[in-house]
Amino acid sequence: MTEYPLSRGWQGRLNWPLLVIIVTSHSETPSAIPSDRREHLRHVLDHAAHYLPAQGPIGVFIHHNTLHAFQHDPFEKAVLDAAQLFKTEPYMSEEAYQKDRARGRILDQDIDDTLRREDDAEILPGKLTRRQLRRALLIPGVRRVNGINISWQLEESDWLTAFRKEIDATAARALAGDTPRALWEACAARVRPETAAAAAKPIRPRDAVLAEHGIDMDLIIHPPLIRLTGAFVDQGIAYWPMPLREEGLLRATRKIMPQPLAIFPARLSGVAAAFRQQEAKNMDAESVVLDALEILAVFPGDWEEYLIAELVALPGWAGLVRQLEVDPTLAPHDRVRCSLMEFLALRLTYTIVALQDITGDTTTWRSFCVPPPHIDPLTPIARLFDAAQLTGISSDVLKALPEAGFTRLSDELHACNELERRRLLHIAYERRHERQILIPLSKFRAMPPQEPKNDRLAAQAIFCIDEREESIRRALEEVDPAIETYGAAGFFGCAIDYAGIDDAHGVSLCPVVVKPAHAVREQPVADHSHIDEKRQSLRRAWASVMRGSYVSSRSLVRGWVSTACLGFLSLFPLVLRVLRPLEFARLMEKLNSLFLPEPRTELLFTQDGEASKDATTGLLAGFGTQEKVDRVASVLGPAGLHKGHARIVVVLGHGSTSLNNPHESAHDCGACGGRRGGPNARLFAAMANRPPVREGLRAKGIIIPDDTWFVGGYHDTCNDNIDLYDLEAVPETHRSDLARVRQSLDKARALSAHERARRFEAALPNRNAATGLRHVQERAEQLGEPRPEYGHCTNSVAIVGRRDTTRGLFFDRRAFLVSYDAPKDPENKALAAVLGAVIPVCGGISLEYYFSFVDNEGYGCGTKLPHNVTGLVGVMNGFQGDLRTGLPLQMVEIHEPVRILFVVETTPQRVLSVIHANPLLTEFLENRWIRLATIDPEDSHIEIYRGKGQWEPLSGDEEPLPVASSSIAYYSGKIEHLPVARIDPRPAKAA
Amino acid sequence: MSLSALILTLVAVPGSLFILLSLLWLLGVKLPERAMSRLTKGAYAFLTLVTFVIAWRMWQSGQHSIRISIGDHWFKVAHYEFPLTLLLDRLSLPIVGITVILAGIVGSFSVRYLHRDPGFFRFFLLLHLFTFGALLVFMADSLDVLLGGWEIVGITSVLLIGFFQYRPDPVKNALRVFATYRVADLFMLMGVFLAHHWFKTASWNGMFNGEWPGHINNLNGTAATVVAVMLVFAASGKSSQGPFCGWLPRAMEGPTPSSAIFYGAISVHAGAYLLLRIEPLLHSSAIATGLVIFIGLTTAALGTLVHRTCADAKTSLAYASQTQLGLIFAEIGMGWTTLAILHVVGHALVRTLQFLRAPSMLHDYHRVHAAAGGHLEPTGEHYESLLPKQTQIVLYRIALGRGFYDAVVDRFIIAPVVAFARFLGVFEFRGGKP
Repeated sequence: MTEYPLSRGWQGRLNWPLLVIIVTSHSETPSAIPSDRREHLRHVLDHAAHYLPAQGPIGVFIHHNTLHAFQHDPFEKAVLDAAQLFKTEPYMSEEAYQKDRARGRILDQDIDDTLRREDDAEILPGKLTRRQLRRALLIPGVRRVNGINISWQLEESDWLTAFRKEIDATAARALAGDTPRALWEACAARVRPETAAAAAKPIRPRDAVLAEHGIDMDLIIHPPLIRLTGAFVDQGIAYWPMPLREEGLLRATRKIMPQPLAIFPARLSGVAAAFRQQEAKNMDAESVVLDALEILAVFPGDWEEYLIAELVALPGWAGLVRQLEVDPTLAPHDRVRCSLMEFLALRLTYTIVALQDITGDTTTWRSFCVPPPHIDPLTPIARLFDAAQLTGISSDVLKALPEAGFTRLSDELHACNELERRRLLHIAYERRHERQILIPLSKFRAMPPQEPKNDRLAAQAIFCIDEREESIRRALEEVDPAIETYGAAGFFGCAIDYAGIDDAHGVSLCPVVVKPAHAVREQPVADHSHIDEKRQSLRRAWASVMRGSYVSSRSLVRGWVSTACLGFLSLFPLVLRVLRPLEFARLMEKLNSLFLPEPRTELLFTQDGEASKDATTGLLAGFGTQEKVDRVASVLGPAGLHKGHARIVVVLGHGSTSLNNPHESAHDCGACGGRRGGPNARLFAAMANRPPVREGLRAKGIIIPDDTWFVGGYHDTCNDNIDLYDLEAVPETHRSDLARVRQSLDKARALSAHERARRFEAALPNRNAATGLRHVQERAEQLGEPRPEYGHCTNSVAIVGRRDTTRGLFFDRRAFLVSYDAPKDPENKALAAVLGAVIPVCGGISLEYYFSFVDNEGYGCGTKLPHNVTGLVGVMNGFQGDLRTGLPLQMVEIHEPVRILFVVETTPQRVLSVIHANPLLTEFLENRWIRLATIDPEDSHIEIYRGKGQWEPLSGDEEPLPVASSSIAYYSGKIEHLPVARIDPRPAKAA
Repeated sequence: MSLSALILTLVAVPGSLFILLSLLWLLGVKLPERAMSRLTKGAYAFLTLVTFVIAWRMWQSGQHSIRISIGDHWFKVAHYEFPLTLLLDRLSLPIVGITVILAGIVGSFSVRYLHRDPGFFRFFLLLHLFTFGALLVFMADSLDVLLGGWEIVGITSVLLIGFFQYRPDPVKNALRVFATYRVADLFMLMGVFLAHHWFKTASWNGMFNGEWPGHINNLNGTAATVVAVMLVFAASGKSSQGPFCGWLPRAMEGPTPSSAIFYGAISVHAGAYLLLRIEPLLHSSAIATGLVIFIGLTTAALGTLVHRTCADAKTSLAYASQTQLGLIFAEIGMGWTTLAILHVVGHALVRTLQFLRAPSMLHDYHRVHAAAGGHLEPTGEHYESLLPKQTQIVLYRIALGRGFYDAVVDRFIIAPVVAFARFLGVFEFRGGKP
């Protein structure tokens, strides 16, 4: 423990007078507290804050590893540590894995392989090894033992009359002459009663008070905390913003709360006095916290543990305050000065007041003990009884076991507890997934290419790497085999601050880790500026009507007018929106296009020189020629698009529009920072069409034919619309090429929509592709639809390589497909750039889905149905709950929780050299937050990474590679996950 | 079909749907979602059609009210009688129409919204029961029948607040609402009881003369005032007014569609309906009239004050509803009956749409914000800025404390009652020993 020069000894503190609450002699002025204590506090709080969810306001949803605070530890350790801290689940339940085993999703060989990789030891020499014991506990699996019902099982069910039916033949032979009753008695005789764990020290007053008085202090202090914080960070829901907000949460609260008339909730009456005293002494947040720690008698050595526990008790709000403190620009409308220290000060003030009220003082809670969990005496006997049956240890053997042997046995049994079994089952579960992907992939690569390549493709289409684009890419190539698709991170190398003509402010369209330095603006073309003016004035008028009706329907007098006199007008939108959503949306669109003129626009992205740097934002207006060249090259280079481009190259950004969905942004493009990537694609195409840029690219070895034209576009992954931009600029000569591409895109999006619809139970199976499109469009406009799309749900693989590796394979929208041409990248530069972007992005997505799935209430935000939008920053359950972070049940319900498997088309040495050069990627890989395999670009053999520099070649071929004539023929009528298949439109040959 | 058969069908359909579905449930039959969805949509389409046919026929035949007796003398002890009679007149018809339309809309919405939820079946079961109860309230011809519907609406409301029964908060808040309802229903029971006791009748027929509107009050004197006051408090309980004004935000724990149909559309307006029905009785007593206006105006004032500071979508809507309900109460007190009906219907429609769209708030706000050019007129500068700074803060404090309603109830009502109950516990025998 660090020594601190205290004005008084801690011992004297413990019997501190109980009269006054937050006054101490040394805190008159902030400076009276030694600065190193303040320094230590800040340090501790910074560290504690890592454990809070890193989710900002929900309007921009960024996927990231839910356990980012634990990423420096290996995955298997981190999930257990986090489970303990957050009281969450590390893996799926044992029943879920056993169900998967029963349906063949986990095979016995997976469990054997998993156990083979773990250390083995003799338990009973010649009879039982650790591996044998564990195998028996996993296959067929232990019987669920529950202390309460064991005696019932003994008396009423068949526990004592028959051995378990599932035990294997060897065990059955060993138990042949034995009876269950004898075995139970032998177990009961051998098992020593477990000594009760010592009573634990409470970490925070709440635990102590709960144990001692049966009162949950969190239920007392959370409602006012939530209401205050909610009102403080509110971005525009409340008609009357909190006064004094500019003074910060703590001071505003202190000035507002203790009014003479105010009546406080039970047990919190002392708050007014506490606030008045703090205010009188003009204490800042740090002084309040330091004082509180002293009053609560928390020693500096315990600060960290204590503060973490206090903060994670209300993680959502604390996390939001932290996020807004670190980056105030995250606030969508009103920038409020947030401070976690102030939040903590408020929390501790309330804690002390409630504690004082309940226990009469503020320090005795330290001497309370939290009773250890009750140990049921029958449970260890039942476990041994079960294990003895599974491993074939008869009652005689058990009785005859020497003491040392029995100790080893019960220790091993204890070590292979439920958490350990779930860990082993999870690894087996992931192993099967790995083999389901890699074996078909290697079989596919071993086949001769489907068709000899034409000299020149009809078109090329660059999509985002997003796994949701996998189906449309496959469909596009199925529709028109002369089109090839590519995958690049959806911001297409253009990190920009962008504002369209309809946007009020610029927003960053790039990965969150990047701060854009360049501004790009959309503006009406010269002769259309008057149309734009008209449009904007109409929109302003519309906005003031909408705003007026929103505000007035809720207030007193205007509300009277709008409900009593105009209320019946709501009937039409209400009935139509609910009963005929798609028709209503089309009607609205029609009205929009009739009354809201749309000007032709262009992007303003060419730099006039350094002078154009904006003084306030520091953004450069547009890009210089070399910058443009670099950005175009950063996409075309790694994808291997060095020469011989098709006449039309389509670049499609993506996003998602859905109604009544607070999590809408979670479906947008992650590479665009949780926003829609249309402008990036448009900008990319515009840059690539510029002759000077092409000139510059030539110097980099990228030779774009003169007759190649780039077209930018936007794909909405929810309603599967595709818009192409700047079609007026397409040269006359390319119109027919474009028409062909457009036609293929339309067919492909309908096919892709149909494929998506198969996952929705609400969609009736139908072989007509048009029904799928209609279904997903309706879904996007349906007011009551909690799953407008499944988003990244089911993502599980990222394949980094040439399209040849995957073209014609059905990945069931589960694979991120990243274009990377290894033979054209001898120095691994492109590989470093590609992996540096895709591992954190795809890894983050995969881990967020993993955690939100395995513990939807703990890591995710539970079901969407009771969600209540609060402050325009997040959702909470009911009227005063914690902010819910993570993903809702409806977004993850069909997910398979596996860590993402990266398959990189290169050699093990090359990929490791790239990853180990980057600390972040090394952390991801070496701590096993992702899985990695390589596929050799030359001979196609596959190597799987096993950690610590160990590689293992893929062997075995138990997974088939089915063939189907089309995607629709393969998935039709099926709703479950489908294995990788080969789509081959040629008449199926005998395979 | 005769008009009375149609009217009976109107009540019988949701009631028998509930009974049928609960029997299926008890028998362990798993009705697929799709079947439930068809059944619900079909039933409400049918009910809406029936309502329109009834309205059309009544208009055609110039009938202003129809009474249907199901059993007039089925129960008789001394002078106590509970005739089972339904009444459809110019007051109940619009409200019944709104009820079946909105319940149908919310039902269709919920088919999608609750898809795959483990409580799917339970939700629809309760929705049908609620419709049955609400129709009974609006078509009752006596306080007795109304009370039956009233209780059904109350219990379904509570069960839907506690819909997510595996989390403690919804259950706790449901219990709280339940307790509030019980206290308010006590007034209702007393009112019914006293009406029977003093006036030997609790049916509209006995209490009033003539057709609504313009029916004449038959009851007089202090006794009538007492009955009226009891019923005013009962109505306040259902509509979250006056002494019962704090429960509405707690009711937001349930799924969004149930918030819409109960607290935006139908259930909260049942209190206003009761007052409209007994309007001549109210106006026969200055005390009762004054009480309704007082309750309405004070609740509206508090509601609008609190609403101004609510930072979440559903609480904000709850207090906005409460505000308008207060105005409706005041209108009824003033005798502006037609206006009050218009207000009820308009308000129900507006709030249903707003509740159903509540999850869109983020989306809508950003769109409007962008369309307005990134700058929205700041709100809260209307009356607020006219007040001195300190008064503003005091008002804000009151609003943030939600009028201190919960604190007062917790500390000065619940705590003493609990303490008293603990004290009574002393007299209980424990552990077999005296």
